[in-house]
Amino acid sequence: MDKKNDNNDQLTDWKKKFEAETKTSSTDDIIINTDEGIGIKPLYIEEDIKNLNFVDVESLPGYEPYTRGPKASMYVNRPWTIRQYAGFSTAEESNNFYRKNLEAGQKGLSVAFDLPTHRGYDSDDEIVMGDVGKAGVAIDSVEDMKILFDGIPLDQMSVSMTMNGAVLPILASFIVAGEEQGVAVKDLSGTIQNDILKEFMVRNTYIYPPDPSMRIVADIIEYTSKEMPKFNSISISGYHMQEAGADNVLELAYTLADGIEYVRAALSKGLDIDDFAPRLSFFFAIGTDFFMEIAKLRAARTLWYKIMTDFGAKNEKSLTLRTHCQTSGVSLTEKDPYNNIVRTSYEALSAVLGGTQSLHTNSFDEAIALPTEFSARIARNTQLILQNETGVTNTVDPLAGSYFIEKITDEVASKAWEIIQEVEELGGMTKAVNAGIPKLKIEESATKKQAKIDSGDRVVVGVNKFQNPKEPKIDVLVIDNEKVREDQIKKINLLKGSRDNQKLEKSLNELTEDAKNGNNLLYSAVKAIKNRATIGEVSKALENVFGRHYATSVGVSGVYGKYFEGNEEFMHVTKKIQDFEKSYGRRPRVLVVKMGQDGHDRGAKIVATSFADIGFDIDMGPLFQSPKDVAKDAVENDVHAIGVSTLAAGHKTLVPELMNSLKEQDPENKIIVFVGGIIPEQDYDFLYEKNISAIFGPGSNIIESAEKVIDLISDKNNQ
Amino acid sequence: MELVKKVLNNDRASIAKAITLVESSNPKDKEESKQLISSLINHPGHSIRVGFSGPPGVGKSTFIESFGTYLVNKNYKLAILAIDPSSNLTGGSILGDKTRMSEISKSQNTFIRSTPSKGSLGGVSYGTREASIILDAAGYDFIFIETVGVGQSETMAANLVDIFTLIVGPGSGDELQGIKKGITEYADIFIVNKNDGDLKLQASKTASDYKSALSFYSKQDNQAAKEVLLVSSIEQQGMDSVIDTINEIIKFNKLNKIFDVRRENQLSYWIKEEIRNQIQSKLDLEVGNDTELLDMTKAVIKGEISIYDVSDHFLDKFLK
Repeated sequence: MDKKNDNNDQLTDWKKKFEAETKTSSTDDIIINTDEGIGIKPLYIEEDIKNLNFVDVESLPGYEPYTRGPKASMYVNRPWTIRQYAGFSTAEESNNFYRKNLEAGQKGLSVAFDLPTHRGYDSDDEIVMGDVGKAGVAIDSVEDMKILFDGIPLDQMSVSMTMNGAVLPILASFIVAGEEQGVAVKDLSGTIQNDILKEFMVRNTYIYPPDPSMRIVADIIEYTSKEMPKFNSISISGYHMQEAGADNVLELAYTLADGIEYVRAALSKGLDIDDFAPRLSFFFAIGTDFFMEIAKLRAARTLWYKIMTDFGAKNEKSLTLRTHCQTSGVSLTEKDPYNNIVRTSYEALSAVLGGTQSLHTNSFDEAIALPTEFSARIARNTQLILQNETGVTNTVDPLAGSYFIEKITDEVASKAWEIIQEVEELGGMTKAVNAGIPKLKIEESATKKQAKIDSGDRVVVGVNKFQNPKEPKIDVLVIDNEKVREDQIKKINLLKGSRDNQKLEKSLNELTEDAKNGNNLLYSAVKAIKNRATIGEVSKALENVFGRHYATSVGVSGVYGKYFEGNEEFMHVTKKIQDFEKSYGRRPRVLVVKMGQDGHDRGAKIVATSFADIGFDIDMGPLFQSPKDVAKDAVENDVHAIGVSTLAAGHKTLVPELMNSLKEQDPENKIIVFVGGIIPEQDYDFLYEKNISAIFGPGSNIIESAEKVIDLISDKNNQ
Repeated sequence: MELVKKVLNNDRASIAKAITLVESSNPKDKEESKQLISSLINHPGHSIRVGFSGPPGVGKSTFIESFGTYLVNKNYKLAILAIDPSSNLTGGSILGDKTRMSEISKSQNTFIRSTPSKGSLGGVSYGTREASIILDAAGYDFIFIETVGVGQSETMAANLVDIFTLIVGPGSGDELQGIKKGITEYADIFIVNKNDGDLKLQASKTASDYKSALSFYSKQDNQAAKEVLLVSSIEQQGMDSVIDTINEIIKFNKLNKIFDVRRENQLSYWIKEEIRNQIQSKLDLEVGNDTELLDMTKAVIKGEISIYDVSDHFLDKFLK
């Protein structure tokens, strides 16, 4: 008998053994369906990797289709860059934090801006009162930018900036700060996120409507390709899609489809593909699905190679996808938070085995607050240990050749490719985004994931299983938001008092003119910033022409409820709601809102759709509402409760303001206010004192939360 | 009634609670609701009620945001009743119209209320008519009633307003069929939205399609001409033509007594509907959970009696 028949006999035999051990009638019964709709088998064999669609299992790292890595040597030559995303409070405080981190072994910088900066408002704008200096550093002018990089030589340090909305004034400030530090524009290195499409899909920190926004993206690609050869003009990001609930295939497909759209935008400027494509970079999230994440990164390189070849790219750097990764924020739990260190470690390993070029590891307390010095150190050390102690850098793409990895890499690639083709049929990503399709698909996926956790289908340790009876208390970083705002306003006034207003006005007018006539906006933005225009002023000069964009979206319905057909707990709450309806002549009505400039609306959307499925009538408020507007909305619609979703540390200012506004607009109101999102336990008492009825942290079970809300409403109305 | 006084004083929270009362499905609230409406109807304001209907996705809410902002900037007081169709049978509803009305909702001169249509086909919910009485008494210049247009529902919505407007998108040629079938009977204005960007050409083509379709429609004497208007909600273009047309039609209708006749007809329609509803609910009480009905149904199946025997039996019993 030859070897092949031998193997076949063994396979038949193995199946029998397997079925005996697992007491199942067929190995097919053990197929696990992932969120992506991929069936994971208990065993993969050589047969599985024959006739793959995209993957060439014999290719080498640094060779097409680059599945095994963009470079031949990968980490053997140089390990990935440890690039921790950070920023908070004022430029002074953030600068201090950066310098400490660089001394402790961090290699690159990654700047987090606060929400007002993202949305193009100065810190002294009324509308952003609750958001200044939270969730990122407040930057109002080039003066702040200079302080931010004080003592950090910009010709040596590569700087990544997460900025999409106010991308023109921020990149201009970076350029001018460099110049005034004595560094030529061409020597600046780093990355600007500049990925506006995903903002319309999930993150919501846009300013202008899609079309002018796409033009700004193209302007920046054009400028950097001419003036900043060492700077990545864009970081095409799937990260926020996964954070918003997308599965890995959706994340990959929409990210690459975004990439295609940006390439087209740049080509429309008359650039040659190889002039700019080498400076396109990517950014993916790495969650807890260990092997799937590895497959995603390998599939991403494989597909990008195909896409760029189709565009006619020749330069090897154009053909290879280089990416930054960050461990998943939504995988972190508020409950038993030290578990997050372990989750992050596995995710980091997954990113590295997938072949990332740089990595951010989250701090374990990020489900609760901004990282402290202590938690930031552990996060950084997670990577230092990987690099220095485990030996993962010794071999390039060590998992290649695994039947399982190669097969799922190909499956992820194939499924993503199908979605990319669907987007193409719609006429590309801008059109798809305008039609709201990706947003809906991501919301549907998010709701499914939540339902799986709430129904116990998916185990989250410490949350729906193996709970810690003695929850540890942890220290959190507290930002004195009022103080930051006062400091920023002082600096703005100082700047406004000392600049040449005539010159300033002229350059702002020029900017407005360029917005109308189609000239590249970054050149005029740099001029305006040099003349000490603030971030808000530059944004406003453009807004005068482009207008401001307002999102319009409703949630999906029925997705959550489907998971609970016949579920006793679910029916129990539904029954309570029906009883309420009988007594009060209408369903319990809840207004779900986000306040301030925080646009992360995954939580709000999930609560809205699942509460509606349970039986509540849900009013969705628009994004970026002020507490006063929310109160008006609540009073007019005579709602029983308001659910505030907050993830950007605005709860200490915005929520009390809401309570005051409610009292003002309806002194006798019986409205219950509950809060969900990222709220440190230290603030719970503060909120309860302000008459908040309930607080739901990350990982709260929706059905339990819904029951608590209906009970609170019933009690209040029975009084 | 304390509530009446407060509504007349334009007290926001009281207006809201009054609407809740008239929308209540609890029979216990019915008496109070009747009293409220009976009092308020004696304090008529000067509101013009405008209906906006149209298929999903044509940008009704976005248009109302844009047009409403335009009116508010001209110091009009505006109330909006948005009937939200997004309800599913088992669960509750997600009322998302207001996510598209972020600017207009900020104004102190607006009152915006969403109501789930609870699956009622009409697109008009129970209590919409009463709610507009409340808002009229509260002193709003305009009351907008936004409904989703699916088939029949326009007739019901049109029966609530002084002017009925149909909003359509560029390239909605399919609805031209509807025009011939008689949509023109109750629509006074056709608004072609999204006259912007890439869609401009298509929008003006759609407008001229509507115009030529309307030319087949024979206008009765002393009836205002039906208008087709092109607007862009996102660029806030064409809003002046909308308000001008509304004002002209109202002026024309008032001059020709059409305005009052419409309101009278609507009132008698309402009275008839009220009678029907009351009979219906009493009848439901009578027959709804009757075991007798179940028994007789079984007898019908067995062929012992006919269904008309059953219906006559219950009708006799009810009328006794």
